[in-house]
Amino acid sequence: MTRKRFHGLKKVKVRASWNKYNLYNLTRLRSPFWGGTFYQQKWLAKSTTRAYHGEQIREGQWEKMFRSRLNAVVPMDHRYLAEHDGSEHAAGRGSGKDRPLDMSEKLREKQQIPWLHMTYAPIERRLDMAVWRALFASSARQARQFCTHGMVKVNGQVMPYAGYLLNPGDMFQVDPDSVMFATGARKESRQIKVGRKVRQKRARLNKRLRLPNPKPALPERRFRQKTPVEEEVEEKEKEVDTWAVPKLAINMQEYRKQRLATMDQFIGTAQLEFERGKSKLGAKRKQDLRALIKDARGIRALINRKSEAEIDDSLAKLIGQFKLIRQTTKADAAAATPKAVSRYQHKKQKILSKRLRELYLKELTTVEEEVEDTSKPYATPWKPRPFMSPFAFIPRYLEVQHSICSAVYLRHPVARPGLAEVPTPFGSDINQLAFTWYLRRR
Amino acid sequence: MPLSLKSPSLPSSITACTKHIYSQTQSRSLSASSRQNSSGRVTRARSQLYRWLGQQGAIFRDPADGHTNYLSAYTPDGQLRRVIEAARDKKAEKKAARDANPNAIIPDAEESGVKKAIPPETTRDLRPFPLNPQFVSQSVLSREAKEKIWEAVMVDGMSVRDASSSFSVEMSRVAAVVRLLEIEKEWTRIKKPLARAYSNAVMNMLPISKFEPDEQRRIAEGIPPHESINDLPIHPATGPQIFHPTSESRVFSRADAAKVFHERLLPADDRVPHPELTIQHKEFTVGLTKEEIRKNQEERDAEAEVIRMRKERRKKAGVVKTIDTSRWAFKFTDINVDKAGKDGRGAQGVGWRYGKPLMDRKRGQVKIPTSVDL
Repeated sequence: MTRKRFHGLKKVKVRASWNKYNLYNLTRLRSPFWGGTFYQQKWLAKSTTRAYHGEQIREGQWEKMFRSRLNAVVPMDHRYLAEHDGSEHAAGRGSGKDRPLDMSEKLREKQQIPWLHMTYAPIERRLDMAVWRALFASSARQARQFCTHGMVKVNGQVMPYAGYLLNPGDMFQVDPDSVMFATGARKESRQIKVGRKVRQKRARLNKRLRLPNPKPALPERRFRQKTPVEEEVEEKEKEVDTWAVPKLAINMQEYRKQRLATMDQFIGTAQLEFERGKSKLGAKRKQDLRALIKDARGIRALINRKSEAEIDDSLAKLIGQFKLIRQTTKADAAAATPKAVSRYQHKKQKILSKRLRELYLKELTTVEEEVEDTSKPYATPWKPRPFMSPFAFIPRYLEVQHSICSAVYLRHPVARPGLAEVPTPFGSDINQLAFTWYLRRR
Repeated sequence: MPLSLKSPSLPSSITACTKHIYSQTQSRSLSASSRQNSSGRVTRARSQLYRWLGQQGAIFRDPADGHTNYLSAYTPDGQLRRVIEAARDKKAEKKAARDANPNAIIPDAEESGVKKAIPPETTRDLRPFPLNPQFVSQSVLSREAKEKIWEAVMVDGMSVRDASSSFSVEMSRVAAVVRLLEIEKEWTRIKKPLARAYSNAVMNMLPISKFEPDEQRRIAEGIPPHESINDLPIHPATGPQIFHPTSESRVFSRADAAKVFHERLLPADDRVPHPELTIQHKEFTVGLTKEEIRKNQEERDAEAEVIRMRKERRKKAGVVKTIDTSRWAFKFTDINVDKAGKDGRGAQGVGWRYGKPLMDRKRGQVKIPTSVDL
């Protein structure tokens, strides 16, 4: 059997996607002419609505999720609550206190709660639907794929299950590059070609990085066998000069890992130096060394939170200090060792240059936005994909921060007078019939 | 699957076969936007789609500049309804003015060089689904509003509850905004690239609520609140219609009505998210000064905090008993053997029970976690 079209033109089926076919179908969607038996009407309503609401979920699965109890709220005015205790509604019944009823006025002011638009509210709780509703994916199916591919985190943990039911207060994050790919315009063919080459080059570089070093030269012949401690020290000493890892186009994570290893090496060497020279070193140098190790540990602990430049800077400083401590003699050690910049001074400098830093950041970000990066899977500079704007809305049960591609699921969707929070393209008649379909045997 | 021999289009020779396949691959494109179907013809439905995309649908291709771009804002021929209406109103106005004073010269906006501004959106224009008037694309908080909320909570030390009532933003949203902005600030600090272009584009497509942090000015300028913060959830116990006879002279308040629905149902005053606003307004109507109201509120808050702490402590103490030796902290949890039930198969039962199979490897058992701890 041939695969059925997801976005068909013959039969108008509105899907959970931003496709242009879907937009066209949305304009063609009409409330059906309700002929046929009640059963036929319900069937039609069910099949129409299910094509949009959780089409990726099996019917049995959805039937288990369905609840006949629907959530709604009524906004209350605290001034009204304070001034009236509610007894005015019951006061003077039959004793002439009530005014004659004006139905037209009542109907006008009272908006009905669209309960039945909440039929598919449980589906909105699913992770994939929430990701799609937060505008992080261009369709519910793509959002589902993002989940299974490990692009989505819930409260900081990777959540590979698209069917995870979000709890109020859960935060979900999607990988920004995936979001930009899903919502961004397609690359031109030129960008695709250039990008492929760039990625190949980058892969080659990374591969070279991971390759083991060429065979080490045979060790020099020595007369005396070295002690293991001495050997280790020598090795570490060699490394001191090779700490400056060549700058390569690698991602931040890998970069951090490398720097973390470098820091470990550095701390190890400094400790060895300290142990070895315990009896020989003077009190001042010992103090300096101890302070240096402490500083290094502090920097190592914060390595994941610091920028590339900051890490490099502090590492360079540490190495410089270490070399100075080792080289200088006892006499000039005190004079030559640069005193560690106190934390307070650091802070002061930061505060002073805050304005400048902001200016710089602004410039940097505008440049970043305009720059072409062919290695990305989307067209750069980034622009939204065509036909996105008519689908762009964010329901109130989500709070989204698009710049970090993260959102918080605040509460379950609710209906309120005149409004329902479940985004459904269908009218109340279809929703009511669909609700009735799922009510059977319940 | 082998080709069916009954197929009338089966080519006779190998060369014919390759040709056939070649022509098929030529005509069949994997792109969803191909203009042809498998037989190589453009169907009427498809040509209509492309006509629509080229004419009325062209406005939806790119986001509108400075306003939202939803389907219901446009007429079927792709014109902005509110622009048409504004033009009609203007025409009527002009006509009325001319009728009143036929000799007066009315300046034309276009002639005088004033650029026609698009009138602001109404609720009608914010409906993404033309068939569903009950769903509206509700406005989101602006960047500025989020920053103000973050500042109030993180810098000025305002409680989430106070921030919620002063900015008219739900408490959960206040907490979420603070949490998200904290992460964003962290990202900027470590120079992790933000999705700024994406964020700007999306914010350009969404309706954004006007924000005025000062409550007095907000009321004076008639800026509507971002959202209602005192939403009373409809309790299922209040569903049935109850006929409750009571004496006419009795003052039958909300609290009494709640009791009738269910003996443990609280009145609406206590079930709303901000009961303190009601109490404060009551005090205000009695004639207390602002300072007194604030003081009373602080006392109530302190009391509530004490009760909450006590409850928490009791709960903690009840669940796990800790015996702290110098070396180990032994933790004991009370377990009731009877919870396994008469047949030993109760869900609350603990430990391995003979003859009770573990269901976790059985078909249909859901393994998806139900919650993720922070």
